[in-house]
Formats: sequence, structure tokens, C-alpha cells
Amino acid sequence: MFDWNHLIFLLEGVPLTLSISLISFLVGIAIGLPLAFTRVYEKEISFVVDIYEKVFRGIPEIVLMLLFFFGLGPFFPTPFNNAFFVVCFVLGLRSAANQSQIYRGAIRGIGDEQMIAGTSVGLSKWRSIWHIMVPQVFTFSTAGLGSEYALLIKDSAYVYVLALLDVTRRADQLRFSTGDYIWYIIAAIIYIALTFPIAFSLDKWGNRRKKKIGL
Amino acid sequence: MTDYVMEAKHVFKTYRIKGEKKGDVKVVDAVKDVSLQIRKGDIKLIFGPSGSGKSTFLRCMAMLDIPDSGEIWLGDECLTKPGVDLNKARARIGFVFQHIYLFKHLTVIGNVELALRQVLKMPKEDARKRAMAALKEVKVTDCINKYPAQLSGGQAQRVGIARAIARQPDIILLDEPTSALDPELTGEVIDTLRDLAHEGTTMLIVSHEMPFAQEVAEEMIFYDEGHIIETGPPSLFFNAPNTDRAKQFMTRIINRTTR
Repeated sequence: MFDWNHLIFLLEGVPLTLSISLISFLVGIAIGLPLAFTRVYEKEISFVVDIYEKVFRGIPEIVLMLLFFFGLGPFFPTPFNNAFFVVCFVLGLRSAANQSQIYRGAIRGIGDEQMIAGTSVGLSKWRSIWHIMVPQVFTFSTAGLGSEYALLIKDSAYVYVLALLDVTRRADQLRFSTGDYIWYIIAAIIYIALTFPIAFSLDKWGNRRKKKIGL
Repeated sequence: MTDYVMEAKHVFKTYRIKGEKKGDVKVVDAVKDVSLQIRKGDIKLIFGPSGSGKSTFLRCMAMLDIPDSGEIWLGDECLTKPGVDLNKARARIGFVFQHIYLFKHLTVIGNVELALRQVLKMPKEDARKRAMAALKEVKVTDCINKYPAQLSGGQAQRVGIARAIARQPDIILLDEPTSALDPELTGEVIDTLRDLAHEGTTMLIVSHEMPFAQEVAEEMIFYDEGHIIETGPPSLFFNAPNTDRAKQFMTRIINRTTR
């Protein structure tokens, strides 16, 4: 007999899964944008961005999470003893490395002209970046950002190893208590439902907007 | 107090372009010892063969390209001195680009308002009023909520001019404002420039629009190979330029426009 309470228990993991991916996505924006602009416009220190990208794209997230949680946690319990923080932190840093590459492509695609026009009306370099480049960079990047968000929804399942009750861990507990593997399949469907619509609508919005402003 | 709105003193600028072979670098002398003075209300027109460095010189005037040596003065302020707030200076210079370069993500009104709000720090309503006045001046008031991609080339360039004049700059520098437009669209941009000229706007224009030059320019400047070759009133160039190079160039360009 299918027990609806079990399904509700599983669905109660959705807010955790969503908030992990959303927060790490925002961390990724906050760090990734400055990295990308530094990489393109500050030639002298662009190697730092290169190193950052290589490090965070090269090391498995799970290694970093275990390292921060068990390695730093005992010495700096705030914030590293907090599994939720560690997951968002690590995924955010990793996402920043990915997003930096996405934005860099956009900056190159938009070209210098918009910056020169900004300079010509009296805006400083960083004001031109903020008022002119950033809005265009986001429009340019929607396809890449959609798949990056999908990646974060999936990777939020890494909290499994730190014993937080997200969708994955709940499915596993249900399998354990009911002996039924259907819970993994239902979890899989939930993940698809969380990733696909967002990535799809972001891409669609981006294409419409791109057409409108001729990017 | 200086008499000049803007002045260039012995400006030099070279730039490098990559050659065909790897590591092959060609050095181009775009500006070689160019000096120029502009008084309030002056309209001067620079013309000459393409690739001669006219545009580079104009960009040096606005400090969009930094000169290798020499001085650029804006009123009493030397812009080539280290430590000068160039953004503040550029706010006093209007620049119109050959390829227009409107901000793609902003509407027409947004394009004109941006610098008023972010550079001059005007309150919202004042900036809106000022931007509307500038758009009225260039006769683009019916499509203020359109994006640049939805405009015709002539409309877009007039918005480019509105963006430059809205800050009420000391001078407007125009880099071939009509040469990227379809021939049937240049007229409306020229009309706009003529209006500005009649209002006494100080302008330095790189252009080959000869009838327009003849009508509004006090002085024409023939520029070739990084130098000012000859300067004088339009009548000089249209009748009998002193230098052979200017003579040849004028013959070619007049034949082209009347053909």
C-alpha cells in the first residue's frame, strides 16, 4: 500500500534542496562576476582568476566539503561545523569558477564598444561595468546560467554525506524503512521537475530579450 | 583664463597592429605633432583620407585614447597631466561615434538619462526633463521607449547626438557621424547637426560631408598621415587649396559627390 505520508516526508526535503542550490547560485554570482571582469579588464592580476578557476573546477566538491566540515569544523565551529553552510559555501565557490567562465565569454562577445561608450559619457570603468556591462552580460549568459543552475540542483545532493535531510537522503531513508526502491525513482522525478522548468524558462526569457536588444 | 574651449598641443600617438606573420608588429604613427585650438562657438571640420589618423586624434582629444606625448587642454585644465580626474573631464565633452555605440540594453530615454543620473547625479525628474529636451532637439520624441536595435540608423545616430548634448558639454566631438549610415539616412543627421550649428554649439567634426562643411564650418582642416597639412576656411578648399595633396583630395571627393 502506498503511504502518502511517505511522499510528504520526501517532499519536505524540497525546500532544503532548493535553498542550497539557490544560495550557492547567488554566491556564485557574487564571486563569479568580479572574477570574470577582473580576468578580462585587469590583465596584471588575471592569473589569480585562472588559478582560482583551475582549483575549484579541478577538485571534487565532496573532497572540499569533507575537508571544510571535518578539517576546519573542529577548529572553527562557526561557521564550518554547520553542514548547510559548508555545502552552500563549497558549491558557491565551485559555481563561481563556472560562472566566471560563462560571464567571460559574454564580456568578450559584447566587445569593447559598450565600455568605450560608457567612458565617453563620463562613467568610470567600474561604473560602466555595473551600469552597462553587467545587465548585458546576464542577458547574454542565460543559456549557460540555466545549465549552471541545473547543475547546482543536482549537486545539492552532496549534502547526503553531511547527513542533512534533503530529497536524496529522505529517499534513502524511505528505501531503508520500506524496502522499496520506488523512492529513488520518485526522487529522480522531483529533481527533473526542479531543474528543467527553471533552465527552460531562463533560456526562453534570455532569447526573447536578446532578440529585442539585438545582442 | 584661456580663450580656448579646447586645445591640443603637440600631440603624438602611435599604435601597434599585428602583422600577418606571428610576432610581426607594425607601428602606425596616427598623430604626429598635432596642435589645434578651438574657441567657444567654433565649428571646425577635419577631413582627409581614411587611415590617416583623424579618428585617433579625435579620440585623443576626448582622452578615450591617451596620447603618447603632448598636451590636451579643456578650458583651464590640462587633461594629460597625471592625477587628473578624466571621468569628470569627459563628462564635459560630448562624443558621437561613427558606429553610434548606443547602450543596447537601455531604451532611447535610458540612453540619454544614464549619464545625467550617474555622472551629473541629477534627480530623476530633472534628468528626465533634460533628456526629453535633448531628444526634442534631435527630433526623436516618438520612440523614447524603443531599444536601439529597433531604431533606424538615422534615428539611432540622432539619439547618439542627444546622448552627447544632454550633459550640455563644453564641446562636442563627432567622429564621422554619417559615414556608417545608408545614404538616404544621412540627411536627417546632417539636419540635426545644422540645427546645433545655428545654436552656436562648439563642435569638432571629422566628416566628408562637403556641402555641410561649406555651409557651417568656420575652418576646415585637411589631415593626412598623422599631420595637419592645411587649414583654412571652406572657400579656400573649394576654390584653390595651397597644397597639392589637398588639391588632389578635394578633386577626388567633389567628383565623387557630384557623380
